[in-house]
Amino acid sequence: MAPLLEVDDLHMHFFTRDGVVKACDGVSFTLEAGRTLGVVGESGSGKSVTAMTIMRLIPEPPGKVVSGDIRFKGESILTMGEKEQRKLRGDRIAMIFQDPMTSLNPVYRVGQQIAEPLRLHKGMTRKESWAAAVELLDRVGIPQAEERARNYPHEFSGGMRQRAMIAMALACGPDILIADEPTTALDVTIQAQILELMQEIQQRTESAIIMITHDLGVVADMADHIMVMYAGKPVEYGPSDEVFYNPLHPYTWGLLESLPRHDVDDKGALCPINGQPPSLINLPPGCAFNPRCAYARPECLEAIPPLVEIENGHSSACLFAGDIDFICQFENRVKRGDAGTGVGE
Amino acid sequence: MPLDPTRPDYGREAKALEALSSTAVPDQGPGMPGGPAEQAAEARTLWGDALRRLRKNKLAVAGLIWIIIVILVAITADLWAPQWLGDPVDIDSSTAASQRLLTPSAEHPFGTDKLGRDVASRVVYGARVSLIVGVLAVAIMIAIGLIMGALAAYYGGIWDAIIMRTADVFFAFPYILFAIVLIALLGPGFQNVFIAIGVLGWPSIARVFRSSILSVKENEYVDAARAMGASTRRILIRHIMPNAVAPIIVYATMSVGGAILTEAALSFLGMGVQPPDPSWGNMLNDAQSFMLTAPWMMIYPGVAILTTVLAFVLLGDGLRDALDVKLKE
Repeated sequence: MAPLLEVDDLHMHFFTRDGVVKACDGVSFTLEAGRTLGVVGESGSGKSVTAMTIMRLIPEPPGKVVSGDIRFKGESILTMGEKEQRKLRGDRIAMIFQDPMTSLNPVYRVGQQIAEPLRLHKGMTRKESWAAAVELLDRVGIPQAEERARNYPHEFSGGMRQRAMIAMALACGPDILIADEPTTALDVTIQAQILELMQEIQQRTESAIIMITHDLGVVADMADHIMVMYAGKPVEYGPSDEVFYNPLHPYTWGLLESLPRHDVDDKGALCPINGQPPSLINLPPGCAFNPRCAYARPECLEAIPPLVEIENGHSSACLFAGDIDFICQFENRVKRGDAGTGVGE
Repeated sequence: MPLDPTRPDYGREAKALEALSSTAVPDQGPGMPGGPAEQAAEARTLWGDALRRLRKNKLAVAGLIWIIIVILVAITADLWAPQWLGDPVDIDSSTAASQRLLTPSAEHPFGTDKLGRDVASRVVYGARVSLIVGVLAVAIMIAIGLIMGALAAYYGGIWDAIIMRTADVFFAFPYILFAIVLIALLGPGFQNVFIAIGVLGWPSIARVFRSSILSVKENEYVDAARAMGASTRRILIRHIMPNAVAPIIVYATMSVGGAILTEAALSFLGMGVQPPDPSWGNMLNDAQSFMLTAPWMMIYPGVAILTTVLAFVLLGDGLRDALDVKLKE
């Protein structure tokens, strides 16, 4: 049987007046039912564009899928008509957005909004969908769901709104849940609750999750696989533990290094990655990460390194993956206690 | 959001609005379920809030009351005006000579005009013309403006360019002059006045609505609606429109005042409502030669225009403050 979702060498480019922005350039992965894929990267690395392309939410023009394919249960999403896509969206593939403050429509009651996908896809009546919405609110842990469903979004707190968004995404029992930085706009304690809720729901419903984030800590517990993106390209892909404990790309290493840790005596200093992400219009020659990479060699400028499998299911787009033992690139961090430990233990 | 009888909570919301207008619901913080707080939460809708804020604005309330009075007077005119004040149009030729240019008295509270017609009766019937022209002209404006604005904003690109440049062409001509030319083409008369005003007024509505949609369109809930599988039409009608209409309501209210003023100007110039039918504008025209000898012919229709236009502008102004969610009391 075909896997739930296959993204095959996807190239989504934006044709702007200033040039072609290769926002998503050669992304491939497969997602099985009940699994979680973490997509990690800085702002502008193409994480959201990848997700939006799967949802077909990118306006065309300026966006255009130049090549590649996205297959849902073996069927290409890209060749589907608008109507078929709409049937998929919200029903089989649902999305949770980053900012719960703005992703609920202020003029409708929360219950009505959760009921909307049910009425769109399941043909429920107002009464049925309202009852279902109340039940969903209850399931995502909103107390007194009956009354709360009648509230307007501005009467909800940030965490509650994100719960409501999750309820909305779950309404039709989707096969895939795409969460685009679902916790970025929330404070830390609420973050943990929301992540817990998503995990709990996944266990119950067997839906697959694509979790997009720039915070490695968020995907540490949840993800089965992790894809690290840089400048529109995946630079490392592998099982979650492998990526955390044995990163094979200096960028991943840099991301891990820039997390604050309590088990290393670094005198409070963090170890950031120097420089800025490159402009997607004018990518540096060769490996896009080379201007910021402490291990860059002349070879890195010659060609774009492909994503190759280094170890069992663990691939990297670094020419020297496996050859070099990446250590802290910067001098402001005192010698690490144990170079082998990962994050989020 | 307009009250839509097909919505499941229609009755509840209507009740909430009723509750608001009869008793002031104490302002309670949101989010406390149960008890009186819950009741307050019921009333705390976007429009419920707006209504509450509007009630605090005395000038807007005064404008609203005046508009309601004018509307009632215009609707019920047939029942009492001719009997009490005299016919606004036809003159009894046998007594006309003795009835000319009478000063205001108990019998003729606003005096009589040069043909012996009662000015008060004519002002009352003039209210009909003014209100009908005002409302119909704005209805035409909104019908064209909303469609054009929505097309320009939602589809953008070439549509936006064509529609907005057309609007610019309309703005390029002096308004009254354009109206006069249009009426010269259509021929003078009551119906052509509101058609002309409506056709000339749509570009402003289109512009306001376009910019309003453009800002609403960027909201994440529009993406969320699309991600939910909603069609373009549904997104426009259910998710964008209700959030983008507030400025249109304000603008339309003020435009009614503007349309009344334009009608008066056109009638004054003889391009609008034709004598002997009364309109505030052509009454002023009649009054021109009697300004010093019979000032009441000029004063009463003038005051009627002034107060009615002012009432619409004040109400519009009040609505703008009331509908602005960023304004916290």
